[in-house]
Amino acid sequence: MEHVVAQPSLTNNEQTEHWSFLPIQVKPLPKLVQDVDASWPRNGIDFWVLSEMKKNGLRPMPQAPRRILIRRLKLDLLGLLPTTEEIREFEADESQGAYEKWVNRFLSSPRYGERQALRWLDLARFAETDGFEHDKIRAQAWRYRDWVVQALNQDLPYDLFVKFQLAGDELVPDNQAAQIATMFCMSGPDMPDINSQAERRHFLLNEMTSTMGGVFLGLQLGCAQCHDHKYDPVSQEEFYQLRAIFQSAVHVKKNQSISQLEEKRSYEKSYLMVRGDYQRPGVEVFPGFPRVLNKEEEVIKDNPSNESFTGRRSQLANWITGPDHPLTTRVLVNRLWQDHFGAGLVTTPSDFGHMGSRPSHPNLLDWLAAELVRANWSMKHMRYLMVTSSAYRQASSPRFSVEAVGSRQRWTESKGRDPENRLISRYPRRRLDGEILRDCMLQISGTLNFKMSGPGIRPPLSEEIAQTLLKDQWLVTTEEEEHTRRSVYVFSRRNLRYPFFEIFDRPDANHSCPKRNTSVTAPQALVLLNSQFSLACARRFAGRVLRDSPSDELFVRRAFRLAVGREIRDNERVKSLDYLEKQKMQKGGGNKKRDRSSYPLPLPDTMPPGPSIAYTQYCLVLFNLLEFCYSP
Amino acid sequence: MSQKCPRKQEAEPVSRRQFLLTAGQGAGAIALAGLREKTGESAFRKPHFQPRAKNVIWLFMHGGPSHVDLFDPKPELIRHSGQPVPDSFGEVMTRRDVGNNPLLAPVKPFFPRGKSGLEISDFLPRISECADDLCVIRSMHGDSVNHPQSVYQMNTGTTLMGNPSVGSWLAYGLGSENNNMPAFVVLPDPGGGLKGGPPAWGNGYLPASYQGVTMRPGRTPILDLQPSAGITFEQQERNISLLRSLNHQFFNDSERDDELGARIAAYELAFRMQMEAPEIVSLDQESLHTQRLYGLENPQSFEFGRRCLLARRLVEQGVRIVQVYSGDTGGWDAHRNVLDNHGKYCRQIDVPVAGLLKDLRQRGLLDHTLVIWGGEFGRMPMSEQGKGRDHNPWGYSCWMAGAGIRGGRAIGSTDPIGLRAMENKVHVRDFHATILHLLGIDYRRLSFRHNGLEKRLTGPDRARVVREILT
Repeated sequence: MEHVVAQPSLTNNEQTEHWSFLPIQVKPLPKLVQDVDASWPRNGIDFWVLSEMKKNGLRPMPQAPRRILIRRLKLDLLGLLPTTEEIREFEADESQGAYEKWVNRFLSSPRYGERQALRWLDLARFAETDGFEHDKIRAQAWRYRDWVVQALNQDLPYDLFVKFQLAGDELVPDNQAAQIATMFCMSGPDMPDINSQAERRHFLLNEMTSTMGGVFLGLQLGCAQCHDHKYDPVSQEEFYQLRAIFQSAVHVKKNQSISQLEEKRSYEKSYLMVRGDYQRPGVEVFPGFPRVLNKEEEVIKDNPSNESFTGRRSQLANWITGPDHPLTTRVLVNRLWQDHFGAGLVTTPSDFGHMGSRPSHPNLLDWLAAELVRANWSMKHMRYLMVTSSAYRQASSPRFSVEAVGSRQRWTESKGRDPENRLISRYPRRRLDGEILRDCMLQISGTLNFKMSGPGIRPPLSEEIAQTLLKDQWLVTTEEEEHTRRSVYVFSRRNLRYPFFEIFDRPDANHSCPKRNTSVTAPQALVLLNSQFSLACARRFAGRVLRDSPSDELFVRRAFRLAVGREIRDNERVKSLDYLEKQKMQKGGGNKKRDRSSYPLPLPDTMPPGPSIAYTQYCLVLFNLLEFCYSP
Repeated sequence: MSQKCPRKQEAEPVSRRQFLLTAGQGAGAIALAGLREKTGESAFRKPHFQPRAKNVIWLFMHGGPSHVDLFDPKPELIRHSGQPVPDSFGEVMTRRDVGNNPLLAPVKPFFPRGKSGLEISDFLPRISECADDLCVIRSMHGDSVNHPQSVYQMNTGTTLMGNPSVGSWLAYGLGSENNNMPAFVVLPDPGGGLKGGPPAWGNGYLPASYQGVTMRPGRTPILDLQPSAGITFEQQERNISLLRSLNHQFFNDSERDDELGARIAAYELAFRMQMEAPEIVSLDQESLHTQRLYGLENPQSFEFGRRCLLARRLVEQGVRIVQVYSGDTGGWDAHRNVLDNHGKYCRQIDVPVAGLLKDLRQRGLLDHTLVIWGGEFGRMPMSEQGKGRDHNPWGYSCWMAGAGIRGGRAIGSTDPIGLRAMENKVHVRDFHATILHLLGIDYRRLSFRHNGLEKRLTGPDRARVVREILT
């Protein structure tokens, strides 16, 4: 932890020849002519996945049945459940490319951008407030969220997606959307009221530089703000060279929130800050790129002809998105892979350095990276390739697969030799994110409001939670129909994550989050079983199903189908009917007013209200089914 | 140690209880091991060395209590009252630019207390009776003159947001002693509005299961613990039974996947919490004597007293660390008038805190319970608006009791007017290292990998365990 000013030498081969710093290499696809699974691969992905499986003596799992495929696909791409009609249509469609048709349909739905934006917003540590004491609202922050949704829906090529967020204001000065995109840089926490504004700015610049490094380059630069990186070949000086790129665009005024970059040409010098202390400037530094990634020795020069822009950030953005940059494309395709296969090929998606993990399929990673550039940086194209691959269509366990013969043995071997599923020898079942869980509950209850864009909405909070906030920090949105909009539009307060999301592992917005935890906790069970939100959804759900169900038999069939996307089995049906019968006989608490809060909505005219509670509760139970909470 | 409280309900709860206990059998119980591994919730982990304490009760005085008016007597301050700070003290950074204001003498007199003669002011007559239990650290110092930054620093080790709190680190490092209760419980001030908000007890980058669970006395101690109004116990029992049966089928169909098993076990745990938690938080079974000990008969101390009593009950049940907050948004933030402000808050906490110490001692809990008292910083020796004081992170007091710590003494000191820590300085990170040490944890070894860095509560800088406290 010594304070070192001199540049360390870069002769250490281990550091400079680290796999992720080397150029992307596309190798010819492996050949599998004689193999029993030779017809398995559908696209390049499958060749690489299969060849690794074969090296380990494994065979892929058989395909999942259609009802499962479409549920998995729609949850993954849109964050919603397939409707009964969609499942039926897909199951009945025997034409070639029936599945691909659904992939394309989903990719062009506006719901796609809403689902995928959640993932990007985790990386962008997005929130609509400053954090710290006052946690003041950044009135325009939602525009960045909308920009992300829209950019993803329009499939803005990833190179432009990056350029806009780093330097949209410089690159397309007249374009308002490009200005908004730069809010990425300022999305982190900020303390506008702190006494020392120099400290505030120092912190903002360091945070921005580290986040940029992690998100776009998969490099953890944070430690280099205090000392030379212990493991990766990035010196402290190089950190401050990168930081100098942003310096002319970050200006603070006491007690004022900032969210956008604002380039002002100035002749302020940049310094290395000794031990990361804002009061200890060391040697002067000039904007520049880390040497290990800059074999061409590109230098950053201030634009001589433009009075308002230095052009530093445009140069950074161009350098990052150069087609030969070894990190940018690898990092992105790995993130997309994680979205669809549960874990990245590199399991540390924002750390491709020495302390990060190595890729399980280096050739596949490079193949995907090259494919991204070849396909004009289209993220939709990459997702298309991933979700149409045979690898993606595998069953998650033998009972949920199309062919029964041999599947159990394959599965046993897969679990035995590939316990972590690094070889993708089966599909990884995954718990839904809190945001998606909420959307799906609203969807089945028939109340999901698909209105897009605009400032974040605030559904009611329980009294106990609201109490922990300062006064008026959660003013409930007055229009009730707004409360059931998609989760991506729920107001994101830095000091208080929306409790339903927090309990299901939404990261706090203080650091860029490349991968969410999936914890298993008792409070998750409590909230799904007992919360007012669950009850409200269950009441609507029950009311909706009761409308067209003249008998209990039909009620359980229909409710079950809506919740888990399959027909109820006989033993399940028997249990459910028995449950309903007993539950209806049960005397209520005797308190009419309380009982009323559990009636189905709407309550059918012909139904006696007392026993109607049984239907609400049945629906509540369905929300708690593992089969409901998991992507199959 | 966990002395079970007599059950209030009769007959019926037995079957109810049995039902829930047997509910934990089968796949749920088998998967429980997996659950522990995944969540760390109930996994008890061995400390690095023999601990002095097993539990912590941290009384957090939000807003910044004034050390020079409570625990740090300064005769020089009386002598120079009304005069400016002597030049020899140099420039001082303050939040509200009070550097040139006249000095203000302590607003209440100090007296030696107990056998030890430890000096405590008249603000706290009852705590003074426990002087021989207290080890006051008079040389605390931190890094920010702002509330939220200092609240974060005191709770998470850095002035920035988003890092795990001390409680989360302890939960992560030691786990819980009770499988049915969280390891880290927070009892916020019902006035709300802690500056910096819930991130003060957040898990930061640690898994969510380590975050502080907020509880309050009363029927619904934990959010969503009970079924919604209108659903009777019998109905809920039937719900759970149907759910269990359907989920088990899916679990079996999925080749008994570990994570699914863990989730089934989480439901069983939730049912047990539903049963146990209300009992734990119910203060009705406490004797009148005990209730009076905590000041429950007095409207001024009733509220804080209830939470102190609840803290003791939680610790008895094996909860690792309980934080009890005093002070709403303003809290102890006596900018305008120390006498009024501290008078009000001292009346709220004096009896309960003294009661807690006495109660812990008489139950034999004090030996292995560390009690911490302090705020996010102290207050300036200069006046503000005449009779108030501004924030002072440069020198202030906290105290510790229990955990076998020898009481009746003060460690370290501030300069003659109480402006800055001077002798045997204890930075917040040293304070944290010492807390961990008392719990049997080497602060250098308790770490978590995050974004490429090996993170610790005390940060990358060297910290020191304050040995004087241990002797």
